[in-house]
This record gives sequence, structure tokens and C-alpha cells, in this order.
Amino acid sequence: APETRAAAGARTRSGPAPVTDVAELCVCDLLVAQCDVNCCCDPDCSAAEFSLFTTCSVPIVTGDSRLCSQKAAVYSLDVKTNPPERIFKLIDQVNPSVFCIHATNYKQALSFPSPDMPTSENFDQLLKRFGSGSFSAEPDSWDMNPDTENPSDANETSRYEYGVPVQTVDAFLRLPSPVVSSWCSDANPAGFLVNQATKCTRSVSMEKCDTIQALSMLFYINSSILAKCHEFVFQVNITVRSIAVQSLNGMWTLPHGSDALRLPMILDALCINIVLGVTYHITYTDAGEIIEAAAAFVLGAINKETLSIQQSFEISFTQANTEPVALSGNPGYVVGLPVRAGFRPQRYPFPGEINTNKYGQLTILQSTSSQDCLAAQGARAPVLFGYNMISGCTLRITAATKCQPLTQTLLDLLKGQNFPEYVASFGNSQDQDVLDWVPITHLHTSEQRISNTFQSSCQIPVSLEIEVKWTKYGSLVNPQARIVNVTATITTTTLKQLPSGRERTIPITSSVVFTDISSPAEPGYKAWPTINAKLPFDFFFPFV
Amino acid sequence: LCSVPLQVLLYANGLYFIFYFLATLTMIVYKSQVFSYPEEFLAPDLTLLLVMAVLEALRLHLGSEGNLTEEEAPLGLSLAVTVGSVILSVYFLVWQTYVLKADVILNAVLLLTYGLVSVLKVMAIAAFIR
Repeated sequence: APETRAAAGARTRSGPAPVTDVAELCVCDLLVAQCDVNCCCDPDCSAAEFSLFTTCSVPIVTGDSRLCSQKAAVYSLDVKTNPPERIFKLIDQVNPSVFCIHATNYKQALSFPSPDMPTSENFDQLLKRFGSGSFSAEPDSWDMNPDTENPSDANETSRYEYGVPVQTVDAFLRLPSPVVSSWCSDANPAGFLVNQATKCTRSVSMEKCDTIQALSMLFYINSSILAKCHEFVFQVNITVRSIAVQSLNGMWTLPHGSDALRLPMILDALCINIVLGVTYHITYTDAGEIIEAAAAFVLGAINKETLSIQQSFEISFTQANTEPVALSGNPGYVVGLPVRAGFRPQRYPFPGEINTNKYGQLTILQSTSSQDCLAAQGARAPVLFGYNMISGCTLRITAATKCQPLTQTLLDLLKGQNFPEYVASFGNSQDQDVLDWVPITHLHTSEQRISNTFQSSCQIPVSLEIEVKWTKYGSLVNPQARIVNVTATITTTTLKQLPSGRERTIPITSSVVFTDISSPAEPGYKAWPTINAKLPFDFFFPFV
Repeated sequence: LCSVPLQVLLYANGLYFIFYFLATLTMIVYKSQVFSYPEEFLAPDLTLLLVMAVLEALRLHLGSEGNLTEEEAPLGLSLAVTVGSVILSVYFLVWQTYVLKADVILNAVLLLTYGLVSVLKVMAIAAFIR
């Protein structure tokens, strides 16, 4: 009824009254209490600021142009005067058309209606009129209370499924991770089969180092993991697989008696045994049950000046009775995954398989911050498919360096300890398929052309270049990368004997280059149809 | 003796009103397309225009009849109906939902015509009474 609507309207608040005076409207005035550039109608601008404008972005402010007569505010810049001045005129704009609006008796005729302000009275009606689908505010929360187990779907929830939080006796297995900022939040659950690695910052202080729970090993191995979801009968204790101790300057050591629990304690001026990193390894069966859990810790120390430490956490899942060999593609190599390589053990009379353990990976020398080759400490980087890499170091040679040991050292440096013999052709090549593995061809070149036949001078290897030729294999729409050829070229140079006391530095480089040798796809066409126009044998019967 | 100028003016009035009616109706249709013209405003305007047409027909008939038969009664009645027509014309001049300049012109001319016709009717009544 109109009277109740009018009464309700009187009670409801309405929005602010619209401004209709053209002299006060300014669309380009966006900054509060500051002058907007080239906005001639901005009331915050002074005459000095007007003199810096080039044009007026809003030259005229009018109401609806269909009105017969209306006020208009015209802004312009007078560039003839020096400095330029803003001119503001309030004029009457006349619409000459005979159909111009002389007057209206309908309030909202020429403007948008203001929306109703929602109040408790009209909220439901407005929601029905304008509302659409919405999300529920409460998610389907996991029921952590073991007493309220739902018997109807007990069979379905007893096995872990992908992404389901790994449950422990009190809550769930925590993997602290940064949430909004980089500070650690302990409420991030580890999801089943979700391999995660997180790094976050935690604030510490010397006084509270033995009271902050998250710094102690106990916090991470305290509660046992439930073998099956929601079932408390079978529990798996988290064992400590290894402990590495990191000193203040970053050096890692593996102390004796690694399995003993080490709690934070204050020793001298340091607080030692605080957790800097945890790596969980969970073993599961294909029935969705967890059978083993192990944690590897990195413990460190803090001193009085340390205000925050960075903790890193990782979790990985392995299926029971399998060896986790990560494939580098299925079947073709995926760019960025390591190139798989291995050895062929000399087993006579069955020279069958290729032995791929992780020591047989194709690696190249990794450049370190100290560019000295002999101090490189054997750091190597895996060769990733598709990524051309180059690395190197510098070798300092004195008069006292001997040729043969140097050659051997450099070969070890360039090739690494276990340079493989075979490279997998596909990302998922199995060990037993010998034909899926490509042997590495070795080449030797020399930097200088040795003109004289007197070759007793020393040849030292200075660069190793691995060229991997790959091709596209398979269908046109989904080509797979396949390694066809791997060539390792060692370039040697002559080491001239130095006079005593002199030093020389030689750059040593190693590189990996991936070359695409796939030939462009050729479409295959069917043969042209031929006209089979042969007359039958006895066509001219009476005459033949 | 019947008044010839009154009759001529009544005839012209009739013709003009036909033009006025069609023009106003067309403009209401135009306004409903171009502007926001909700139904609760459109219905009264159209209704009053129809009422005005009916009144006008009645008024012109009475006026013409009274003038030709030289009777004062129809002329007086016609003047009474003219009051209603004037009110409606003022509505379309001032209180319509959208008053365009063309509306102003049309209604002003109509009011002028009503004024002239009314003066002549009064003179005719005076002549008939005597």
C-alpha cells in the first residue's frame, strides 16, 4: 500500500542529495585538497597553478542538453596573457529545437534513480529482487572431534585421499608456511600426496629460545600420525632419520649419535639445537594408508643479536616398495627436468641393463663464488633438458705445477666423479630397455694446431662441451622430445712451461648446448586416384 | 440573428483541435520512447487527453447548436464545458509529465482560441437575450 511505503520511505535513510549546480560540479577533481593537472574546474587550484596548465580537460559542464534552457559552466584557458589565466563563465545554454524539454513534473526524469538504502525492513525484499547466488559463509569444516564420527561414510573416509590433511593424534601434521606475510603460520596442514616445500620467518629471542615451541624438535615429532583417516587404532610414530647441525657461519656437520633428541639449550652465549629445517618423508601404501614417517632435521644456533630466523620445511611422499626415481617426462623430455643418464655395468654374458642411480646423473661443473678451480670442492649442477648452460672457473698455474696430475685434476673437475656413459632417450626410459639409451660420444680437439710433430709438450683439457641433439617425435599435435645424440667434446691446450716465479691463469669452461635437429613435419598425402579404364578381355568378342 | 464570426471561429476551433489532438498524442508517443516515461505517469496523460477530446466535441456541438438555433441555453452550457477544457489545457501546459516547447506553443494557441471563442459566445448570448 502506498501509505505504508511512504511511511517506510520516511524512516529509511537515503543517500546524499545529488549535486546539480553546474558551477560546483567537477569530474576531473580527483585528488582531495590538491590541484589536479589540467583540471580547470578544480577549486583546489590557485592562479599560479592555473598558469601551468596547457589545456582544460573538462571545457564545459552542463546538465541534460535536451532542456530548452539551462545553465552551463564554461572553463577555458586564455593563453594570450602571460602567465595563462583560467576563464570561468556561467552561461545560459539554449536548445533551439522545438522539442526541447520546457519543464518536467517527474522528479527522476533525467537522472538515474538513487538505489534504496537497505534497512532491516526492506532487506529481504531487496535481496529477493536484486540478490543472486552467493557462497556459504561456513565451509564444510573437518570434524576434529573423534567422538562424532559419522558411521555412514566411515568406509570412505578411512583411507587418505589426495589433498586430505594428514591427521595426527591431536590435530594434523603441520607444515609451517608463510600466509599473508613471510611469518610462519603453524596452521598449514600437510596434504596427503602433496609434496610441498615452504620457507618462512620466525621471530626468536635468546631469552625465550627454550620456551618457543616451534624451535624445538619435539614440536615436530611429538604427535603420531594416524595410519588411516579418522581411525585412532593404528598410529605411526615419526622417527628421526637424521640430524644435521648448521653452525653460525653456515657450515653443516653430521654429529655422532644422530638419532638422539636434541632440545634447545643455552650454551655459552648461544642458544643451540633450534630447528632451522624439517624434511618429512612419508611412506604410504596404495590402499591410502601411511605406514612410515621419518623426519630429517637441520638444527642451528642463534646468538643475542638474532631477531628472526628462516625455517624451511619440506614433505615428500613415497609409495611403499617402490624406488622413487623421478621421470623426466612421459615419454618425451619436459623442459627443465634433469637429463637421465646411467652406466652399463660390464656384466658378461648378459650386458642387459643400464644402472641409473642418482650418481649417474649428467652434471656439469657449477660456478662458485670463488672462481678458483682447485678450490671448487666439486660442486656440480644437474643438466636440465632444454636449458643451455655454461659454467667455468679459473685455474692458476705456477712454475711448479706438474702436467700429469693437473690433467687428471682438470678432467675430474670437468667431467665429475661419475661421468655417465649412456643418456636416456626418452624421459621415461626404463633401465631394462637398452635400445632406449643413447651412448655418449667422446671427442677430443686441440686448441692450437700443432705444427710441429714434437708432441711431448703438455696438453691440458680446458673446456668440456656437451652437445645434446634432440628431435621431435610422435604426433604433430603433441610432439615429444627425444634425445638422439650426445657428444662430449674436450678441448685441450698446450701448457707451456713457465719461468719460475711467474703465474698464469687459464679459464676453464664447461657448457651444455641443446640442439633441435627435428626435421620439419611433412604431410603425407594419399596417392592420386588413378582411372582404372581397362576394357574387359572379351569386349570385342565376335571380332577378337 | 446568429453570429457568423462565432460560427467561423467554432469551425476553425474544431479543425485546430483535431490537429492539436493528433500532435499531442504523437508527442506523448515520442516522449515515451525517448524519455523515461513510467506507466503511472503515462496513463493519466493519455486519459486526460481523451477526456479533453470528448469535452471538446461536446463543447463545439453545443456552441454550434446554440449559435445556429439562437438559443442561450446551449451556449451557456458550452461556456461551462469550456471551463473544463481550459483546465485540461492548462494541465497540458503546466502539469504534464514532460512539457516540451511544442506543447507550450500548442496549448497557448488553444487557450487563445478558447478565449476568443468565449468572448464571442458571451456577445452572442447577450445578443440573443435582448
